[in-house]
Amino acid sequence: MKKLYVHPLPVRIWHWINASSVVSLILTGVQIRYVGLIDVMSLELAVSLHNWIGFLLLGNFFLWLSFYLFSGKIGTYHPELSPKKYYAEAWRQVRYYGWGIFRGAPNPHHISPGNKFNPLQKVSYQIIMLLVLPAQIVTGVLLWDVERFSSTVTLLGGVRVVDTVHVLIFIFFAGFLFIHVYLATLGHTASAHIKAMFTGYEETDDEPGAAEPERDTKEARPLVVAPMVSTQLH
Amino acid sequence: MQALAKVLVVDDDAVVGRSFDRVLTDKGYDVSTAMNGQEALNKFAGGHHDVVFTDIKMPGMNGIEVAQRIKQSSPRTPVVVVTGYGTPTAEAEAAAIGVSEFLHKPLLPETIEEIMDRLMRKPEVEEKEAEAATAAEEKTASRGLGRTLKNIGLFFAAPFIGLAYFIAFPFIGLGMLLWHGVTALRHRSATK
Repeated sequence: MKKLYVHPLPVRIWHWINASSVVSLILTGVQIRYVGLIDVMSLELAVSLHNWIGFLLLGNFFLWLSFYLFSGKIGTYHPELSPKKYYAEAWRQVRYYGWGIFRGAPNPHHISPGNKFNPLQKVSYQIIMLLVLPAQIVTGVLLWDVERFSSTVTLLGGVRVVDTVHVLIFIFFAGFLFIHVYLATLGHTASAHIKAMFTGYEETDDEPGAAEPERDTKEARPLVVAPMVSTQLH
Repeated sequence: MQALAKVLVVDDDAVVGRSFDRVLTDKGYDVSTAMNGQEALNKFAGGHHDVVFTDIKMPGMNGIEVAQRIKQSSPRTPVVVVTGYGTPTAEAEAAAIGVSEFLHKPLLPETIEEIMDRLMRKPEVEEKEAEAATAAEEKTASRGLGRTLKNIGLFFAAPFIGLAYFIAFPFIGLGMLLWHGVTALRHRSATK
């Protein structure tokens, strides 16, 4: 088991501030949206908290952006420009998540400090961090002071349009949280990736089959591979 | 994956050879098998092989000796030891010879494909690493504004390119499923 330093300190700080901000924004957002149905706190308090945390998230986003733009780690978010290569790698990852992982196959993506995301993660985070989150921040700021930004709001189709976009993205983030947490438990132990987000070190095992038990007699030896690709014999 | 890369599988159990053949032929590899060490060395001497998989416990010459003799005659050829009796001593011997992988049975088809993909990629990866090192040197020599702008441009273009990939993915995925289905059907009718 090797340890690789994959998550630098600024990224870890950003990640946990971002995570707690998003959860708090979802909770206060639900309270604002369903006032009367849910009364955990007053509407005024929910709106005030939502605004403050929203600006914290905005500032945190610019910290993240500055880190990636100016630290030499910008390649982490660079796109794969060859569709053929991208789909070949993404397909292997899909096969792993949909099939191989349940049969103990090794992860086709080998994590490294310069290549920490698998092809599916890479595209997801490119879209989320540089398209979806900025859209949520912009619509949030517009809704924070509709009068001040009335011309922009009108240009975008009015408050209802901006509000709808904001709520749709909020629903997306609420759903994404579950997927994100589930995928975070798919390391070599359920807590390995989560621990790595505190320590910075990911543990990798590049020796498939190393955990297989030794066998004592030739007669007891199993087939190397199953007769059919889809069947595993022991 | 390189098409028609040649793989030699050495195992006294014919079923093992056939299983490797089935998995790797589907993936475009040219698989030949040998039932013992001497036959393996003859086949290896008779034609170029890109990768060799060998069992350890075989009548006559054992797999470690096979691996050693192959590495002596062709140091750059990756040799993978596959065994049901992996002792630390055997593993240490194999490592000293310079085998690429030491695997324990049973193996999943996916594991074999993965190993092959990795081994066939290795020269490519080494080449890329060398290119990356050269690029890094060039970068330190001339940290041009152009490169910075290109990096920033790629960074901000990434979500749009990613979105295009994402939108096209279901269609590409369905196409790949179809292709896999047709390949499996063809293989099935060919084996009947």
